[in-house]
Formats: sequence, C-alpha cells, structure tokens
Amino acid sequence: MAAGANGFDGRVAWITGSGRGMGRAHALLMAARGADIVVHDVLKDEAGETADAVRKLGRRVFVAHTDVRDVAGLRQLVHDASAALGPIDILVNNAGIGQHKPIEEITEEDFDLMFGVHVKGAFFCTQAVVPGMQTRRRGKIVNISSIWAMTGAGLNTASHYCAAKTAILGLTKAWAKELASWNICVNAVSPGGVLTEMPIKIQGWDKIREKEKRVPLGRWAQPEEISYAVAFLASAEADFITGQQISPNGGETIVGI
Amino acid sequence: MGNLYGKVALITGSGDGMGRAHAVLMASRGADIVVNDLRGDMAEETARMVKAAGRKAHVAVCDVGDVTAIRRMVDDTVAALGHIDILVNNAGFGQRAQLLEITEQDFDRMFAVHVKGSFFCAQAVIPAMKQRRYGKIVNIASIWGMNGAPVASHYCAAKAALLGATKAWAKELAPWNIHVNAVAPGGVRSGGPLKLDKPEILRAKEERVPLKRYCEPVEISYAVAYLASPEADFVTGQVISPNGGEVIVGF
Repeated sequence: MAAGANGFDGRVAWITGSGRGMGRAHALLMAARGADIVVHDVLKDEAGETADAVRKLGRRVFVAHTDVRDVAGLRQLVHDASAALGPIDILVNNAGIGQHKPIEEITEEDFDLMFGVHVKGAFFCTQAVVPGMQTRRRGKIVNISSIWAMTGAGLNTASHYCAAKTAILGLTKAWAKELASWNICVNAVSPGGVLTEMPIKIQGWDKIREKEKRVPLGRWAQPEEISYAVAFLASAEADFITGQQISPNGGETIVGI
Repeated sequence: MGNLYGKVALITGSGDGMGRAHAVLMASRGADIVVNDLRGDMAEETARMVKAAGRKAHVAVCDVGDVTAIRRMVDDTVAALGHIDILVNNAGFGQRAQLLEITEQDFDRMFAVHVKGSFFCAQAVIPAMKQRRYGKIVNIASIWGMNGAPVASHYCAAKAALLGATKAWAKELAPWNIHVNAVAPGGVRSGGPLKLDKPEILRAKEERVPLKRYCEPVEISYAVAYLASPEADFVTGQVISPNGGEVIVGF
C-alpha cells in the first residue's frame, strides 16, 4: 500500500444529504481528492449547487433529488448512478434533520420523520449499495452519527434525534461484523458542535458562543473538519478499520472503552 | 508537500516495527523525526530511511524508563531540530506471562516503559507546546488495553493506563490547543507476533478477526499520521482502533 493512499482517484462516492452543510463539505473534499460524487438531496437547488462545485473541481457528478425515505427508489438510484459513473465504492449516510423539542411535544409524525430520515434512510441506502460491494469484495460505508447519540442532549431537546443517532451506531457495529467477510468496512463519525447553517439558524450566535465556551478546545468546528474524518475512514488508509467511531468534538465527549 | 511539512515529531521506540513505520510515513509527509530507541544501530537505520525520504533525523538513544534521560533527549532535540510539535508515545514491548509468573521486576519494567515513559515524555515536551499553543500527542495503546487478554495482565493494565492518561491530558491541555489521542492497534504483522507465534497459530488468530487478517505496520501509521495532522485539529481525547473489527470501540 502506497504512502499516499488517501486519494480517491476513480472512486465513486454516494453522499446522502449533500446539498448543503456537512454533506456538501464531504462531497467537495472527496471530489478534491479525486472521487466522482453522487449528490443526493431532497433539496433540488442545493443539490444543483453542490453538483456545480464538484464539476468545478474536475470531477463527474450524478444528481439525485429523492427522499432517502423513498425506499423503492433507492435501488433504481444505485442502478442509474452506477450506469452514469461506475460502481459505487463509498456510501456516506449523512442525510439528517434537526428538531429541538421536549418529549411532550414530539408527535408521532415528528418521531416517524426523525427515524425515517436517519435510520430507515441509512438502512435502505446501505441495503441498496451492498450487493455491488459484495460482488466486488470492496466497500466503505461511513455513517454520520452525533455526539448526542452518546451523551444525550439537554433540557427541552430532541430525544428522538438522540435515539435515532444512537440507532445508527448500532447499525455501524452490526454491519461491521456482518459485512467484514466481503471486505466492506463500516464506521461512524460523530460530530460535536459544527458551524453549519442549521444550528446557526435554530440557536443563534449568542447561544453558540456560550456553548463553545464549554468545549475544552473552546470552539465549534468548521464543516470541513468533520469531512477530514469521513475521508480518512473512506480511504484505503483505513482498510483495517471497521466498526469504529471517530468523534471530532473538541474534547467535549471522550469515546472509548 | 505533505500535511506534516516542517513539523518535528518525536517517536519513541522507532528503531523498528510500528515505530519505524510511523517515522517513515510521517517523514514522507514532511516531518523531521527524532528517532528514539534503546538500540542504537536500529535507530540509525530508521534515521537513514527518514533521510532517504528527504527529511532531517535526530537519533536519541535512550531508555524512556529513565526520566533524566528523557529530559536530556528533549533538550538535545530542541538544539538539533527545533521545538517538538508531535510526540508519539510508541515505545513498548510485550511479555506473555501469566499472573503468577509476573515478577515485581517484570511489573516495574512494563509500567516504566509504557506508562512512566509516556508520562514523562509528555511532561518534557508540553511546556514548549503550551508556549506555542500547539501540539499533538498520540499515545499507542492496544486492543488488549480495552479488552484484556488471557495472558500479560501487566501489559493490558499498562496499556489501559495510557488510555486513562490520554483522556485526562485531552481535557487538561485543551486550553493550550494541545490535542491528545490514542491509537489502539489490533493484530499487526510486526516483530512481536511474528516472533512469538508459529505461522499456523498466527493464521488461526487471523481467522478470528472479522476482516480475516492482521495488518501491516503502516496501516497503524495512517491512523497515527491522521491524528498528528492539522486535519484532526478538532479531534482530542479519542481512540482510533485499527483492529479489523475485532473490538468495537465506543458507546
């Protein structure tokens, strides 16, 4: 294995929720390192913007604007994307939503949406892409969880989100063992505080500055700082890493045994 | 130009095996290397490989179990290469002994090299890292530090102690932007297992790993180099375990 095994030349990466935020950052970093990208987002304009940015980096793009909860459409998506770009080598299960609500206010609809996007979406995207990976005996799956999956959140916040992100860690551990025989590596990245549009809009800068003070490193991350961990796990440098979790969180939560 | 360009990395126990692999990979990414080892001829060989990769090397032959020698090594290094940006606490050794066979001398040596050595290497490099408000410390633990083993409880406990130090230092040193993480290798085809296990036993062990193999030393180096790089500037207090799925780390 070469020293420079962190490149993605000729690899195809499917990144769900890559229309904006961290998903877009993952797409652009991996494209800059040589990957062709399947940009997948329900948000059509945003997906188009990410696709343009990937093309500017000289890489090929396949754009899919479907909902990850549309299970029936996922196999077709894999078929069409593979026809356009070649077989999918990497899946980043990144699509997600946030919602701040105390338990009393979470409706059945809220709950189903939260688990539908994060868990069911990740599950069936993986199910759609794995047969091809098994045939080629090679694949990388990176699931995006959250620091909140490990610690819970706080008062008045998102227990359905926390539980869905923890379910993703359960899938990560089980798939790592189930798919190892085909040399498919499955890992998770659990971001701490990240300066994306979503928290800035929901919480505002005053609240974020206050929260940054409680992080040992004294700050939240830029989206690219999460992408570095995703790209490392998706690269050939991590061929012996499976079932593990990297949490870029500024020291807020210590992961491990 | 690699992402460690111009950095100075002290890698203890880099005279062979994984330590040498870390040294050569990090040199190929632009770092100058302090090659520390007890065995001078092997340290010199690693230094030659670092120079072949186009970087400077400083050889420091000393026992990390000797705290005075550590301090002298760090002073000499600063004079030779400049301030240390990256410390990889890699020096270590294995000893397959049962609880009842482990002597006080065995125990003391195990903890002196793995724990006390790492502790005082960190203590020696930290003041300058604090001053410059930048530093990376990577401690080499082991899956046996997380999972235990049916032998070598002194080794398992020493490696577990390193995980404890990692977590505490991450919190203590974060205000100075010093990042402390651990890499906990699973099965590696390096000196220890190749020497201690017969080939058929090694094969049987590989069969029990979900990915059905042990890894090459450089596969551990990739995780070390990632944590030592600016790409991991938001990562501290964490453990990466390249272990082929043998042990699942996390919550």
